[in-house]
Amino acid sequence: MRLRTPREKRILYIKTAARWFLYYFLIFFSFIFMTSGTWMKPILLIPIPIFISVNNNQYASVFTGAMCGFLIDISCGKLFGYNAVLLSIFCIATSLAFELYLKNKFVNCILISAAAAFIQCWLDYKFYYQMWKYDDVERIFWKVSMKVWFYTVISSFFVYLLIKLINRFLMPKAHLTIEEAIITRNQQQ
Amino acid sequence: MREFIKSTRFKILLAFLAFLVGIMIYAVTKGGYSVSGVSFINTLTKPFRKASNSISMSFEKKLDKMKNADEYYEENERLKAQIGEMNKKLTDYDSIKAERDELRKFVSIKEEHEDYILSVPCKVMGFVTNDPFRSFTIDKGKADGIEPNCPVVTAEGLVGITVEVSEHVSTVRTILSPDLSVAAVCSASNADSGIIEGGVAAAESGRTRLIHVSPKHKLKEGDLMITAGSSGMFPRDYPIGTIKSIGYDSNGLSVTAVIEPCSDITRLTSVIVITDFSGKREDD
Repeated sequence: MRLRTPREKRILYIKTAARWFLYYFLIFFSFIFMTSGTWMKPILLIPIPIFISVNNNQYASVFTGAMCGFLIDISCGKLFGYNAVLLSIFCIATSLAFELYLKNKFVNCILISAAAAFIQCWLDYKFYYQMWKYDDVERIFWKVSMKVWFYTVISSFFVYLLIKLINRFLMPKAHLTIEEAIITRNQQQ
Repeated sequence: MREFIKSTRFKILLAFLAFLVGIMIYAVTKGGYSVSGVSFINTLTKPFRKASNSISMSFEKKLDKMKNADEYYEENERLKAQIGEMNKKLTDYDSIKAERDELRKFVSIKEEHEDYILSVPCKVMGFVTNDPFRSFTIDKGKADGIEPNCPVVTAEGLVGITVEVSEHVSTVRTILSPDLSVAAVCSASNADSGIIEGGVAAAESGRTRLIHVSPKHKLKEGDLMITAGSSGMFPRDYPIGTIKSIGYDSNGLSVTAVIEPCSDITRLTSVIVITDFSGKREDD
């Protein structure tokens, strides 16, 4: 992307700052939502960093993933850092996968998010319940873990739309020179 | 991909992951106290969580009313019939006695147990997200004299124990959890004892279990189980719950009972933490 004028640069900085502010506001709101009430709730802090990673580099992704992971640890009462490690890995993998192999499509995003949520729920069940061999522990898998996973997948549709909306207005668009455009087009063909 | 693995970027990301694992290990060694990051986030988000939780609770209450209207109607009818039946039986003396008993529940716990050092009443900020054993957070912490492993009670009975304490917020593990074991004894006989320990199936209906009871027991439904106080973690003679049903465990060797906790753990709004009592075990 080429930035020719100081005005273009200024707009880029403002848009980027606003975009990240909205991302983190969404994260904060999801954390508050997750810590309220008594009902079973989706883990909104999984799809959010995953969808953020789709459009951002690995450094931003890993930091956001770690941040969301720490917040999940606090709201779900897990070992501090456990979900941070998990989500950091998910976010790096997502960022790389979309950079190298996948196209930024709705189905791809939802599938990746659903897979990440499933792994998180499954590991949570393994480490926090099944490993301790409680009686009737499999009930937790079907009645808690799978339910939470299902809610998370459903809610990720809405999260996707929100992130898409933020990106649509605030994600800087690539301005290519005619030569670059021709090269890119040739590469795609 | 190969280029990425060889790049400096990859090494930086690996170093960051190692740093996160380090934080995790550090958190394990804290022995019940939150790491400073958690304390900071908990303190920062406390007012938002409180406000959001109160909105959520009132919203849930309204939805619950709409969702279970038929059930409540039936329950209401049943209770009305029950009340009518009881009214016939009760004399004025009985009603005064019942009223007195009801009021006695609210008499300060301190008056009944002079040796207890109690915290100020703690508000339940919210239940831990998606926890099947109903752990919850309260709005008091280290700054209010609360430490890890302090018993948490209501006037009705034992609720649980503090497990993670931040500066102004604490997490409470309830007696519905299989990770909390409480030595209990029957208040009627003062002889039949067992261990109160939660179970997955019992927790679904807000109940807990009494396990490791001798086959020669004399327990019956409705008996009140109280704390034995033998471990030094809980004070003696504090009510836990009443026996709902008695049966054998899966191996058929020892008796187990389903216990209805004296306090409805699924609907708690405020609790009290016992920070000290006579006979408390001092941790090294």
